[in-house]
Amino acid sequence: MLPSPENIIQTVEQIVAKRGRSVDAAIPILQDIQQEFNYLPEEALKHVCKITEITPSRITGIATFYTQFRHKPSGKHIIRVCTGTACHVKGASRVFDAISRELKLTIGEETDPEGLFTLEKVACLGCCTLAPVIKIDDITYGHILPEKVSEIMRDFLTKSRNPNHKKAVVRSFTTEVMGEIRIGLGSCCVASGSAEVKEELEKILRETKINVHVKQVGCVGVCNQVPIMEIIKPGQEPAFYAKIKPEEVKAVVLSHFRPEGFFNRLKNNFVNTFENAVIEGEPTSFRKYAAEQRDTPISEFLGPQMAIASENRGVVKPCDINEYLEGGGFSALKKCLNTLTPQQVVDEITLSGLRGRGGAGFPTGRKWQMVKDQDNAVKYIICNGDEGDPGAFMDRMLLESYPFRIIEGMLIAGYATGAAQGVFYIRAEYPLAVKRINEALLICRENGFIGTSVMNSGFSFDIRIFEGAGAFVCGEETALIASIEGERGIPRMRPPYPAVKGLWGKPTLVNNTETFSLVSWIFRHGAEAFAKTGTSGSKGTKVFALAGKVNRGGLIEVPMGITIRQIVEEIGGGIADDRKFKAVQIGGPSGGCIPASMYDLPIDFEELSKVGAMMGSGGLIVLDDSDCMVDIAHYFLSFTQDQSCGRCTFCRIGTTRMLELLDKIRSGKAKTEDLTHLEKLAESTRQGSLCGLGKTAPNPVLSTLRYFRHEYEAHMNGHCPSGKCLPLITYKITDDCIGCTKCAQRCPSEAIGFKPYEIHVIDMEKCIKCDICRQVCPVDAVEVV
Amino acid sequence: MIKLTIDNTPVEVEEGTTVLQSAAVLGIEIPAMCYLEGHSCHPSCMVCMVKDADKGSYFPSCAMPAAEGMNIIASSPDVFDIRRDALELLLSDHVGDCEAPCTLSCPAGMDIPLMNRYIANGEFDKALDIVRNEIALPLILGYICPAPCEKACRRKPIDGAVSICLLKRFTAQDTGRRLQNLMPDVAKTGKKIAVIGTGPAGLSAAFYLLRAGHDCTLFDKNELAGGAMRYNITEDKLPREMLDAEIECISRMGAIFQLNQPVTPDFFESVIIPRFDAVILATGNRNNQPVEDFGLTVGKDHELADKKTLKTQRPGVFACGNMIREHEMAVRAAAQGRIAATEVGTYLNTHVVKAKIHFNSSFGHLTKPEQEEYLKESSPVIPVEPFGGFIAGYSEAQAIAEARRCLHCDCRKPSSCKLRIYADQYSVNRKKHLGPERNPFTKSVHHNLIVYEPEKCIRCGLCVEISTREESLGLTYIGRGFDVRIGVPFDETVSAALKKTAEACVKACPTGAMAFKEQEERASTLKGITLDHPQPLTQKT
Repeated sequence: MLPSPENIIQTVEQIVAKRGRSVDAAIPILQDIQQEFNYLPEEALKHVCKITEITPSRITGIATFYTQFRHKPSGKHIIRVCTGTACHVKGASRVFDAISRELKLTIGEETDPEGLFTLEKVACLGCCTLAPVIKIDDITYGHILPEKVSEIMRDFLTKSRNPNHKKAVVRSFTTEVMGEIRIGLGSCCVASGSAEVKEELEKILRETKINVHVKQVGCVGVCNQVPIMEIIKPGQEPAFYAKIKPEEVKAVVLSHFRPEGFFNRLKNNFVNTFENAVIEGEPTSFRKYAAEQRDTPISEFLGPQMAIASENRGVVKPCDINEYLEGGGFSALKKCLNTLTPQQVVDEITLSGLRGRGGAGFPTGRKWQMVKDQDNAVKYIICNGDEGDPGAFMDRMLLESYPFRIIEGMLIAGYATGAAQGVFYIRAEYPLAVKRINEALLICRENGFIGTSVMNSGFSFDIRIFEGAGAFVCGEETALIASIEGERGIPRMRPPYPAVKGLWGKPTLVNNTETFSLVSWIFRHGAEAFAKTGTSGSKGTKVFALAGKVNRGGLIEVPMGITIRQIVEEIGGGIADDRKFKAVQIGGPSGGCIPASMYDLPIDFEELSKVGAMMGSGGLIVLDDSDCMVDIAHYFLSFTQDQSCGRCTFCRIGTTRMLELLDKIRSGKAKTEDLTHLEKLAESTRQGSLCGLGKTAPNPVLSTLRYFRHEYEAHMNGHCPSGKCLPLITYKITDDCIGCTKCAQRCPSEAIGFKPYEIHVIDMEKCIKCDICRQVCPVDAVEVV
Repeated sequence: MIKLTIDNTPVEVEEGTTVLQSAAVLGIEIPAMCYLEGHSCHPSCMVCMVKDADKGSYFPSCAMPAAEGMNIIASSPDVFDIRRDALELLLSDHVGDCEAPCTLSCPAGMDIPLMNRYIANGEFDKALDIVRNEIALPLILGYICPAPCEKACRRKPIDGAVSICLLKRFTAQDTGRRLQNLMPDVAKTGKKIAVIGTGPAGLSAAFYLLRAGHDCTLFDKNELAGGAMRYNITEDKLPREMLDAEIECISRMGAIFQLNQPVTPDFFESVIIPRFDAVILATGNRNNQPVEDFGLTVGKDHELADKKTLKTQRPGVFACGNMIREHEMAVRAAAQGRIAATEVGTYLNTHVVKAKIHFNSSFGHLTKPEQEEYLKESSPVIPVEPFGGFIAGYSEAQAIAEARRCLHCDCRKPSSCKLRIYADQYSVNRKKHLGPERNPFTKSVHHNLIVYEPEKCIRCGLCVEISTREESLGLTYIGRGFDVRIGVPFDETVSAALKKTAEACVKACPTGAMAFKEQEERASTLKGITLDHPQPLTQKT
């Protein structure tokens, strides 16, 4: 039902009263309006123009720039299909198509005729290890197969109609605390069902009256094993339970803690039986590992890692300030405020060799110095948390898990550079991060860590949050600033650099979330300690989101200089499904593909750019021999092309033309001169674009052309070596067919005739290459040729 | 002051000067489209690229402040290449014709849509002026031209072509108007030119020679002027009074006709060559008179005259019309007569001819919805038949009605569109980056002063900046990325958006996306002498 005009006007008045009438309130106002009506009614926008300083031109420009904003009412439920890299390589586009078919959407339509579901693509849900992933309203589904789509939607509707689906659980306390159970509540843990596990756990504890401390911890990083439950019992080694399901919780709890009450013994017996069964039987639904035990997926996964940004991972509760303080929190800030001059602080950062973690690796000390050297009473600090790379969720994890650490980093930067105001710029798609930071800021304000005279030092600093509205380009610092100022997120020409002329024309320090999260460690351990780790040009650690075709994906923090082999083999546990390692894609849409021949390449800023890749924000997608490199290049370019702000010619039109050429190549229609043309155009787009997005957009194309030219050439000859490019493949049913008719029943395009006990045949005229027949065939009789 | 080097030449500029402005100090012109002095500089077109010689990187010079010690390359093949690439990319997303199909198919290149607009407006004098920019004999050709223009007319498949030929004749039908404004106010050059032959080529050559301020004597072996038009075309097709009337015009302009004067080889060598500064041969079909009579030869490996300049082997001797190629349309012969007259001016150093813009963007056939877009600007009537038949021609009211049928396929900024000028200078290949599909052409004609054709827009945003400064509604960007376009908020009209700033927006718009409905004239005639843009760029090595 559409909102009434009176309702619209009244709502807008309320929103404007809260957000203010100035131009920079435009984005928050639009966000609130959408929150209210689930789209932006034109009448609402007109009324905003009437009662604020925001002009029709500005509001239209903004409302149509950011992808978050909808201009038509959405369906009752929103289905978001993740199209992140990991999901892409695991078939997200087929999932999308399958849902489209299920909803009977025609091209260009997003909402089904009944208005029940709206289908959207999202850049990344950050659950790369569960790929492919979809999210319907708040429920996330992982490992989706196209053929399971209708089942999932039925499941969702059943759950959503059940009012008891979500309920708060309050645990009752008894006397003695017997230990601690930690549950990861990062976004990916939640997506994998950790909330249900927690709910079940609390229920069991209540029933059994076992008194243990249940602690929600931030991201553990072992995303491939989620949900994870860790049991800490005094006098015992901590134990991890990976991939645990709610129905298994009871058994696990009872195996560690003795319940009070009548059925004590009986239950213990049950547990023993259960435990034995699980340990001996394969496959296991969940696994138990002792923390220090060798050769377990978890110990191996954590083995070569080094936690600085993610220090105390899986141990601390994100918004527990006491715990943060106990672990040395704010001692770095205290040290800076009490014993160091601002210049000494900058010098320490310079000495540490820290370089910006946003992608380009600009020396952090130099940036701080530039801002410090500006003679201006007003300066700003911005934490760039507009992480938009498909396949990267490091910032999200840091913001969700270590809010105080980042705040401390910003405070130190503020003190060093002479700024008194800070802004968290956080992607709107990260509601949990926004919530945690909000909570943490509130706690900090209450405890005197932000506000007037921080820690009674006389140094004042306050921080606010700005929620992005869905534009990858806003990760570029000048576009980010434009966005905060209430403009379209269009990058500006540098110079002037934000350090000289940034937010509202004032000197502004923009650092990435990860950069800020490394700062306090440097002051607690000293710049030398930090500089000891890493390579000569790249110091410290780097957080990567490891996903794709590895056995163990997740968030990892590794010392700079670690080789690709170490990451893939030691941390990732090698390539999944016994396939062959082909390449890693590092740096997302700005990065490049590094081939197997460079398996031993040490990862640091210089080495990566030398081979045509880039640190980017740290997505690390492992590809195997079933991945087509033309498809990968096409995937990344279609992302950047879609995310181009449209300002400069090379990015706006150049990326589009490149994508069209890749389409031509993918469909086997290209000629040799198209390849040369593509290469030249990629080169001019790199040279001619104004900002980093455009300049690096050709990297995935250039690097795959550099190392996998033969694959491009194969496509010219009408052959996709990996069988990925749909126009170049066909499906065939072999003689192994047993005539079970499953494929015929499931084929959405009636391309397979229903012939019980006969060998089935696919009509290629009708086949839409959805892959469902291959997935449902019980005897693997469907092949791709 | 800041010292920097551009193309190896040091220059000193004040702080705050951009690299583009610094280059201008040295006289180095850098092309720029989205940049406009006095407006916020937010580079988008990327046509003003230069290279930082030290870093090897490229940047837009319009927005880069000059810095101490900068070493800039503004003229080198790679810099030209990247500028050309930017232009070619812009053109790949540019749907619009520089010249209308009718103009392109007219051998004389007459500006037909502009003529139509003047006629439709009742401004017949201006219409005739426009016609005479390219066509010296509108009355005669209005009878005998086979009108290739009408075959190309985009209205043809809808409900019949605009009767361009009749409209052109109409402009010269009225005797008073025909005799007006024959001669522009030009200084005499003191040069004497002989024209041999008085057919369409010769008369046309004479017309433009006289207009350029030369003295002109025409020689013809017959007792009356007109050549093939008089002796080969029957009277029912071309009434003789019309032929005489137009010859009368040329006579009035000051041409001397030496009739009954065969030009024998002896006469040519002993009388014409010594007495004239240049000669234009327009004797028609070579069967009439062999080229050898003028001391010329035609061989296997050489033509009688250079195709572009119409120069023969003999210095100062030009050839045009059917003499060059047989069975040409009269209009082509006439067009060559004009070219020969122009080239004489160049040869005698009396004129610097405005560099003609050769570049042309054209997008081909209209789809059905595009036809509808074009029909927005024209009258829905079917072709108007002259009451008295073809020979009688149009009355004023009929001419106006027919002219209103024109779809205005042309660009209204044929001379000032920077995209066209630079495309021409940089010899771009407009098809280099063409995508598999072009956008559908649309136009907004609602505003009384201007026409907005979004598919010609390069998204520089100048109009958004200018309009939002003063207007309550103004223009805005809509969307993002490749699909971004300039439009009016809340789907309002362009008229509502641009109540005060329409003129400023048109002037700032670097392309024909926003133009006055009243079109500017093209810069390709002898009337204007000065250059409005530099000569085609030659690459320095």
